[in-house]
Amino acid sequence: MGRYLIRRLNLFLATTLALFIILFVATRWFPADLSYALSGVALPTTQQQLQIEQDYALHSNVISQFLAYVTERLSGNFGISVTSRQSVLNELAGVLPPSFELAFVAGIIALLCGIPLGMLSALSRSKMVQKTIMAATLTGYSIPVFWLGLLLSLWFGIELGLLPISGQINLLYQIPKVTGFMLFDTLLYNGDYKWNAFADVLAHIILPACTLAVLPFTVVVRITRAAMLNVMNQTYIRAAEARGLPYHTIVLKHALPNALIPLLKHLGLMLGPFASYAIVVEVIFSWPGVGAWLVSGIYQRDYTVIQAGIFAVALVIIFFSILIEVLYTAANPMSRKEMYGTN
Amino acid sequence: MGRTKLYLDDDIPSHSKRVWRLFAAKPQALIGLWGVVILLLLSCFGPYIAPYAAEYQDQSALLMPPSWSNQGAVSHFLGTDDLGRDIFSRLLHGAQYTFGVALLVVISALFAGVIIGSISGMMRGLKSSILGHLLDALLSIPSLLMAILVVAVTGPGLSNVFWAVGISLTPQFVRSIHQTVHDELQKEYVTAATLDGANPLQIFWYVIMPNVWDTVIIQTTLAMSAAILDIAALGFLNLGAQAPMPEWGSMIMQGLDNFLFAPWTVTIPGISILLSVLAVNLVGDGLRSALAPMRN
Repeated sequence: MGRYLIRRLNLFLATTLALFIILFVATRWFPADLSYALSGVALPTTQQQLQIEQDYALHSNVISQFLAYVTERLSGNFGISVTSRQSVLNELAGVLPPSFELAFVAGIIALLCGIPLGMLSALSRSKMVQKTIMAATLTGYSIPVFWLGLLLSLWFGIELGLLPISGQINLLYQIPKVTGFMLFDTLLYNGDYKWNAFADVLAHIILPACTLAVLPFTVVVRITRAAMLNVMNQTYIRAAEARGLPYHTIVLKHALPNALIPLLKHLGLMLGPFASYAIVVEVIFSWPGVGAWLVSGIYQRDYTVIQAGIFAVALVIIFFSILIEVLYTAANPMSRKEMYGTN
Repeated sequence: MGRTKLYLDDDIPSHSKRVWRLFAAKPQALIGLWGVVILLLLSCFGPYIAPYAAEYQDQSALLMPPSWSNQGAVSHFLGTDDLGRDIFSRLLHGAQYTFGVALLVVISALFAGVIIGSISGMMRGLKSSILGHLLDALLSIPSLLMAILVVAVTGPGLSNVFWAVGISLTPQFVRSIHQTVHDELQKEYVTAATLDGANPLQIFWYVIMPNVWDTVIIQTTLAMSAAILDIAALGFLNLGAQAPMPEWGSMIMQGLDNFLFAPWTVTIPGISILLSVLAVNLVGDGLRSALAPMRN
């Protein structure tokens, strides 16, 4: 296992390096002055210009420029944003937690609804139930997420007037930022209207989280169903039936844990599309997260914001996909057999 | 003179015939196939059968509801948008941008993916592993982020969407083809062919590739639905097809201003995106279940 972990760590480092190379090359292709694209300072004074040239080694060869670029980025210098004149790193720290919050809530909704429904469609003997669930998941898989978000906000937000459709919290509440996660911050907040604020945050997250949850939900249902059908045909399930165990014990204790293993693997593969969807959802619901920040960055051609946003999101995805892969290997001893001798 | 049948035993259906029979046994897969065929025809001939030009503005019919509403008229079957442009015609014109471009992107990505994937799958050791890791890095950048990067370099436009979606789809093809080639290479029939004296090129083309095409087909349908959704999403974010273009996603974006009192300008293009992705997914599902018994 130790050797395996080192290999995964190497993979993480190699992928991060490749990501740096992609961004470094893209930065040189931006239709802007190189020092401006790197630092975000539009009209530098002579002193600033010298500083930038020194930091990014602009007068040396490409290799040392690349090394300087990596050093600057790793030490947290992402330059300043052209529009807000703030340090990009601080802005990034402000927009990442809301995105994590949204993704986390959406993931929980998808898992909590998807796993039982997948089991139901695998175990149910009625063709009707199976076909309805499969048709619903196929439709959910095909729906364009921006359109779904618009329809939901039109219906629940405006026609029925039940839920707020933009932002993270009503502007009336002044909640100090402690963790950045609004759900925790309102709980930590000690003032009047604490619970009103918490309810308001909950109401704000329902629509975006449900919209975002549709894609993972359909995938979870389909994978759980396929895995469950596969597991229920295994011999150890028949052995458990022969021992006379009650049906729910067999399903919950013998079948379900084994069916969840392939699900874990597919969750890792789904991170990329999930992030794409999250960006669109954040734009539609004006969620103050990294996706909306990035899209407004591209509208304003804010090159430092674009680099930092892409770097952060891709790094998070690389990290979590490798983490899920490690968890998968830890949970599934059968996959360790193939680990050695191949790549 | 008719041919007399000499042998009474049943003919053994070929691989493709068996797949087709299994596929055609499912009505929903056939419906999906019809949908895809219609979309293909529309993306070729849509502009010729559309009643109006895509940019024609009928000033007497601004924001006219669809024809089944009381204020609607049959001359504008699906209503008009805020500039008086006929939505039905725009949908017909737009099929070539949304569906046609998606098809082009997928075919190009498939071409690149098959070449890179089979080369890296046939290689062993460090070279194959380096290629794999580079692709992992590309794969970890979601398609939308890749599109943002491409737009930052080249500016918005439909041709840049082609590159953005293509770059994000290719690694998926490469990865699945690499994996399949790699798995097939370990099997005994390949060893048998090697012992018969086949050179690597023959092994690749005559021995391994026939077993890889199934994976390629399934991956193509998956990529197709992803490509349609990506192109529409980019159009919606105004990073892809630009304003007067009748691309379906950007039609939704253009209808957004009048969403509250003219919801059909948003719902109708959305439904056409949904139906086309659904058709592609139905075909993909049908193919997957038709190929599944043979792969195991």
